[in-house]
Amino acid sequence: MNDTVTQYSEQFAALSPVFSEGEPDWMTRQRGAAMDSLRQSGFPGQRDEDWRYMPLRPLTARAFDTDITGEVDDLPLDHWLIPGLESHRFVFVDGVLNDAISSNTGLSPGISVRSLASVLRQGPDALPGVSADESLPGNGFLALNAAFFRDGYVVDLDADLEADSVLEFLFVSAGKGKAGQARNILRLGPNARVKVVERHVSLDGLNALVNTSTRVVLEAGASLDYHLVETMGRGTSMINDVVVDQSRDSNLQIMTATLGGDVVRNNLKVRLNGPGAHCELLGMYAATGRQHVDNHTGVVHAAPHCSSRELYKGVLDKRSRGVFHGRIRVDQGAVKTDADQTNDNLLLSPDAEIDTKPQLEIYADDVKCAHGATVGQLDANALFYLRSRGIDPENARSLLTYGFVNDVLGDVEVEPLRDFLAAELSRRLISHE
Amino acid sequence: MLSIKNLSASVEGKTILRGIDLEVGAGEVHAIMGPNGSGKSTLASVLAGRDGYEVTGGAVTYRGMDLLDMEPEIRAREGLFLAFQYPVEIPGVTNLYLLKAGLNAIRKHRGEEELDAMDFLKLIKEKAALVDMKQEFLYRAVNEGFSGGEKKRNEILQMALLEPHLGILDETDSGLDIDALRIVAEGVNKLRGADRAIVVVTHYQRLLNHIVPDHVHVLAGGRFIRSGGKELALELEEKGYGWIEEQAA
Ligand SMILES: Nc1ncnc2c1ncn2[C@@H]1O[C@H](COP(=O)(O)OP(=O)(O)OP(=O)(O)O)[C@@H](O)[C@H]1O
Ligand SMILES: [Mg+2]
Repeated sequence: MNDTVTQYSEQFAALSPVFSEGEPDWMTRQRGAAMDSLRQSGFPGQRDEDWRYMPLRPLTARAFDTDITGEVDDLPLDHWLIPGLESHRFVFVDGVLNDAISSNTGLSPGISVRSLASVLRQGPDALPGVSADESLPGNGFLALNAAFFRDGYVVDLDADLEADSVLEFLFVSAGKGKAGQARNILRLGPNARVKVVERHVSLDGLNALVNTSTRVVLEAGASLDYHLVETMGRGTSMINDVVVDQSRDSNLQIMTATLGGDVVRNNLKVRLNGPGAHCELLGMYAATGRQHVDNHTGVVHAAPHCSSRELYKGVLDKRSRGVFHGRIRVDQGAVKTDADQTNDNLLLSPDAEIDTKPQLEIYADDVKCAHGATVGQLDANALFYLRSRGIDPENARSLLTYGFVNDVLGDVEVEPLRDFLAAELSRRLISHE
Repeated sequence: MLSIKNLSASVEGKTILRGIDLEVGAGEVHAIMGPNGSGKSTLASVLAGRDGYEVTGGAVTYRGMDLLDMEPEIRAREGLFLAFQYPVEIPGVTNLYLLKAGLNAIRKHRGEEELDAMDFLKLIKEKAALVDMKQEFLYRAVNEGFSGGEKKRNEILQMALLEPHLGILDETDSGLDIDALRIVAEGVNKLRGADRAIVVVTHYQRLLNHIVPDHVHVLAGGRFIRSGGKELALELEEKGYGWIEEQAA
């Protein structure tokens, strides 16, 4: 056991009686098993192939504080609202739902949004499926989350329900040195449809960790538009683990926009389990300074006639670094698979870097799999062209950058969010540091 | 309007322009002709301020200002417009957006109010009609997938919108069909006026039937080797460049 794990172990001994109180036994057992697995396997290191390029030290050199209250005095909430976005908003502070600052009234019947902490206190059978899951967490961060999580959202949509407004989850990191570790569950019944915006924010200079784990289940014909908007301030790092299971004919569009944070790692895994399922993985990342953005995606075609489309676009400035690792696995029998993956990158500085790697594992015949990756710089001719039309160099650069990510943005259907992302992109890349 | 004195310039250490002199007065139209590689586009680029061209001698005064001292966007805002020989494609940025950003930057520079979306749309639709351009082109990415002729027409649309004092058209007529040629010429002729001037770079006399120049200059080997009236263009069309190059040698 290294020092960091020892510190977590001590925190667990001290705090788990508090946060396990009122929980069903199976959950307390799951937490214990997760802590054991962390003690045994520790955190990933540079030698693990999947974590090779990640600067892990800021995340694992010391233990973050897991003693979370979720209470705060004064948050500049207005500052973190997306202009024009109409939504039911749920605000989590350090991973714990804060009802007082949420605006969550008037949900249509058939949609339920609950706090995981409260669901767990409704009795041992409140979370069927989750309670039966005996599998051990796949890495140290997931183990940490499973052992220490305090809360998260649990969304359930009844069959055939079409949500009329956006569900917005705003996760605010507020405590210095804290690890906010939400565990979320999103379940859509057959043919249900909903749009979700999950945003992560923090003030600069917190030295905080966001370690989130989300499970998504789409039943037959369900359709989810899921936007992850990562706009944390400087000094906050993040591990975001999302696993999606899709039944037949279901539809997923997931957009991961990473614009803030020091070191950000997105693990996204989508399993297409029923024929006719379709997923669209969109990504946009913009980094500057010494930011590191790491996207690991995995799409598993486990059934025939499924399609997946993946488009990730990144803009890297200054000394920032990006990693894209896109894995596609086509299982035996998953015939007529149609999978497409693209990762395009724009380097704005000679010191910026991108490592991009596709990985295709195909065990079926009669499939269509395409992938491609590009790395380029701003086109000097285009820059001059814009300037020769009176546009100043700064705006010209931002226009070209915007143009570069525009095909990802163009697929975002929630218009206020699209506008927000475009503005945020220029603001972050153009601001003088 | 424009006064070029003994201008020399090089690209990547290679001297291209070797002592250019040119006086363009307000209200005038000048045509520059000359063989491939003689430096016509280089001259246009230097005037517009493209990076990578080193001015090794001489001076350029534009409307009383030291042109070579100005950033490209300032030149544009002061009314200099270059129609590119090879217009650039800009994926993801609509024509409309570029035009609005350009126009408003120029208006702001002049101390005029920026146009709001509605007023701008009205104006640009008028201008598009003027150059006979379908409105769908406004909503497409700048020059992306445009045919050669459509790109040139788009340059003229930009010029019509930005209403420059000095328009430099680098082979805007190349690749245009007869109708488009007439439209381009009309666009240019509409811009003719007391406080405007046009420099057209062309290989073809036919453009000069539509835009009648006051002066014609022949550029070869980085210098003007001959200047004359519009009849010089006819002579060139007939005899090619060889005879003047020999005379100049
Ligand atoms: N960026 C560059 N690097 C190297 N050489 C260049 C560059 N730009 C121009 N040149 C050279 O400078 C010379 C003049 O080119 P320029 O484009 O000005 O010719 P032009 O008169 O416009 O020709 P055309 O009629 O074919 O358009 C050519 O020999 C060209 O190869
Ligand atoms: Mg040329």
